[in-house]
Amino acid sequence: MIRVALIDDHALVRAGVRGELEESENSDVEVVAEAGTVADAIDAIVRSKPDVVVCDVHLPDGTAADVIAGVVDRGVTSRFLALSVSDAATDVIHVIRSGARGYVTKAIEGPDLVNAVRRVNDGDAVFSPRLAGFVLDAFSANLESPGNPELDELTAREQEVMRLLARGYAYKEIARRLSISIKTVESHASAVLRKLQLSSRNELAAWAANRKLV
Amino acid sequence: MTTDVHRPRWQIPPLNRDERILGGACHAIATELGVGPLAIRLSFVILVLAGGWGLVLYGLTWAFLSWAGPSGAEAAAYVPEPKGASVQHRYAALGLIVGGLILSLRTLGFGFVDQIVFPVGFILAGVLIAWNRQQTEGGVTAAVRISAGVLVAAGGIIAVAALNVNSWEALRLLAIMIVVLLGLSLIVGPSVARIGTELDEERQERVRADERARVAAHLHDSVLQTLTLIQKHSEDPKRMAQLARRQERELRTWLYEPTPEQPGTIRLGPALDEVADAVEHDHQVRVEVVTVGDSLDLRPESIDDLVSATREAVTNAAKHAEIDRIDVYAEHRPNAIEVFIRDAGIGFDPDDVAADRHGIRQSIKARLERHGGRATIFSEPGQGTEVELYLPLNETTTRPAIADEPQPEPENQEDHMDPETLMTAGGEHP
Repeated sequence: MIRVALIDDHALVRAGVRGELEESENSDVEVVAEAGTVADAIDAIVRSKPDVVVCDVHLPDGTAADVIAGVVDRGVTSRFLALSVSDAATDVIHVIRSGARGYVTKAIEGPDLVNAVRRVNDGDAVFSPRLAGFVLDAFSANLESPGNPELDELTAREQEVMRLLARGYAYKEIARRLSISIKTVESHASAVLRKLQLSSRNELAAWAANRKLV
Repeated sequence: MTTDVHRPRWQIPPLNRDERILGGACHAIATELGVGPLAIRLSFVILVLAGGWGLVLYGLTWAFLSWAGPSGAEAAAYVPEPKGASVQHRYAALGLIVGGLILSLRTLGFGFVDQIVFPVGFILAGVLIAWNRQQTEGGVTAAVRISAGVLVAAGGIIAVAALNVNSWEALRLLAIMIVVLLGLSLIVGPSVARIGTELDEERQERVRADERARVAAHLHDSVLQTLTLIQKHSEDPKRMAQLARRQERELRTWLYEPTPEQPGTIRLGPALDEVADAVEHDHQVRVEVVTVGDSLDLRPESIDDLVSATREAVTNAAKHAEIDRIDVYAEHRPNAIEVFIRDAGIGFDPDDVAADRHGIRQSIKARLERHGGRATIFSEPGQGTEVELYLPLNETTTRPAIADEPQPEPENQEDHMDPETLMTAGGEHP
C-alpha cells in the first residue's frame, strides 16, 4: 500500500479526493493523514511519515512550497504531488522548484490520480498538460534570450515529450508515437523536472516578467 | 472608465505623489497641459522672481488641487488631453502667460523686495535643475546636472549681490534667510511630515477600498450568480458541472490571463478559451486548453480564421469522437502559431471521408490555406484523432491564397505512412 497524506484547506475537497484515491479500481492507496493548514500539514507529515503527500498549492497560511520547506530538514522522505484547481504559472513553477514531483489539476479522473500518486511514489515526474505548457513557456522564454548558462536547455527529445504531454498524450501513447519505451519517456520527464528545479530563480523571474505575470 | 466616455477638454488633474518634488502640483499641471514638468517648475520659480508671487501661487494651486482634484480610482482613470495645436504652441503659450503675469504683478507693485526674492528664486531654480533627474540617467549626467544646478544658484546669488547691493549686505540677507528657514523647518517640519504620512496612508486605504469594491463587484456578477444557478439546477449534475467549469474558466481568465495592451488586438489564449467554453456549452465534453508563449498581441484579421478552424475541429471531435475529453494545445512563437486539437476517441480513416464533405475541407483546411498556413489531420480507427493547424505570422498572413496554384499538401503523402512516422512528422513542423 502507498501511504498518502492529503493537504487541502477544504474538508469537502479532501473527502472527495480521499474517495477517488481509495475507491478507484485497483487502488493500492491508503490515506493516513489529512491537514488543512501549513502548520498542521508539517505536524501531520512529520508524525505519519507518508510515502506521498498530495498537497493543494494555496493554503490559508502559505503555499505547498512552505510545507515542503517545513518538513525537508526533519528526516522526512515523503514525495510531493501538487494538486490544485487552476493557478498562476509562477505559483505552480515555484512549488515544483521547491521539490514537488508533479502538478495535476483537480479535474483529473480518479484512476489517473491514483496513477499519478503511484508514479510519484516510484520517484518519477508527473506532468499534467497544463504543467507541461508552463514548462515549455519557461524554457522557451530562455531560448529567446540565449546566453543564460544557468537555465539548462531542454534537448530536442525532451521538448518533444513536453509538447506531446501538453497536447494531452498519456505516457504510453507518447512511447508508442516516438517508438521508445515508457521507461524512456519517464526518464525524459524526470530530466525536465530536474532541469526546472536546478535552473536559477532569476531566469524564471525574467520569464514571468515577460509574460506580464508579475 | 473607457476612452469612449465623454471627456471634458479641461480636467482637474490629480496630484502625483510618485513624481513630486514638493507637493506634486507642478507635475499635475504639466500632465494636464501636455508639457514637461520642468517647464512648469521653472515658470513658478520665475514667478517667485516677480515679487515672490510664485510661492503664493504654488501654495494656492496645491491647496486647490488637493481639495478638488480626483483621487483613488478616479485619479487612476485620469487621461489628460494635451492642449494646443502642437508642443511648440504649448510652450509658447506658457511663456506668454508667465511673462504677462510677471509684467502685471510687477506693475501693480505688490510683493517682496528684490534683494530677498532674487537670490531665493535663483537658488530654487538651481535646486530644481539639480533635482529634475531622469530615470534612465547615468551617474555622469546626474553629476553634470547637479553641478549645473549649483552653478546657476551660486551665480544667481553672486550676480544679485554684485549688481544690487554690496556683497556684505547680500551675505547678511542670505544668512538671515537660512536661519529663518532652518528655524521654520524645525518648528513646522515634524507636523508637515506627519500630515504628509497621514495623507499617504489615507490615500492607500482609499486605493485598497476601491480594489476591494472592484473585486466584490466582479465576484457578485460572476461567481455568486453561478452559485445561484447551480443551486437551481441541483437535480441536473451535467448542467451543474457545465456551469461550474464555465465559471472556473471565466475566473481563471480574469485572475491570470494578461489582457491585450493595444486596443483592437486579441490574445490567443483567451480566444481559444472562449472556443472551449462555447463547445462545452453545446456538447457534453470537457475541453482542456493549454497555451504557450501567449505574450504577443495579435491582429484579429490574421487570427479569426485560425480560431474558427479550431472551433470547427473541436466541435467535430465533440460530435464524432465519442469521448468526453478534448485537449487543445496552442504554441505561439514569434513567426508562427501551431494549434493541436486532440482526442483519444474512436478515430476514423481520413481516406474514407467523402471529398464533398465540407466540414474538414472548407471550414478547416481552406481557412488556414487562405493565410499561407495548413491543416493536417491524423487519425485512424481506434487510435483517436489529432488535427494540427499551422499559421505563419508575417505579411503573407493577410494575403489571399492564389487560386490556380494550390498550396502543397504534405498530409496527402503522410496519410499513407504508418502512425509512428506520421506522428513524429507532425511534431517536427517548423
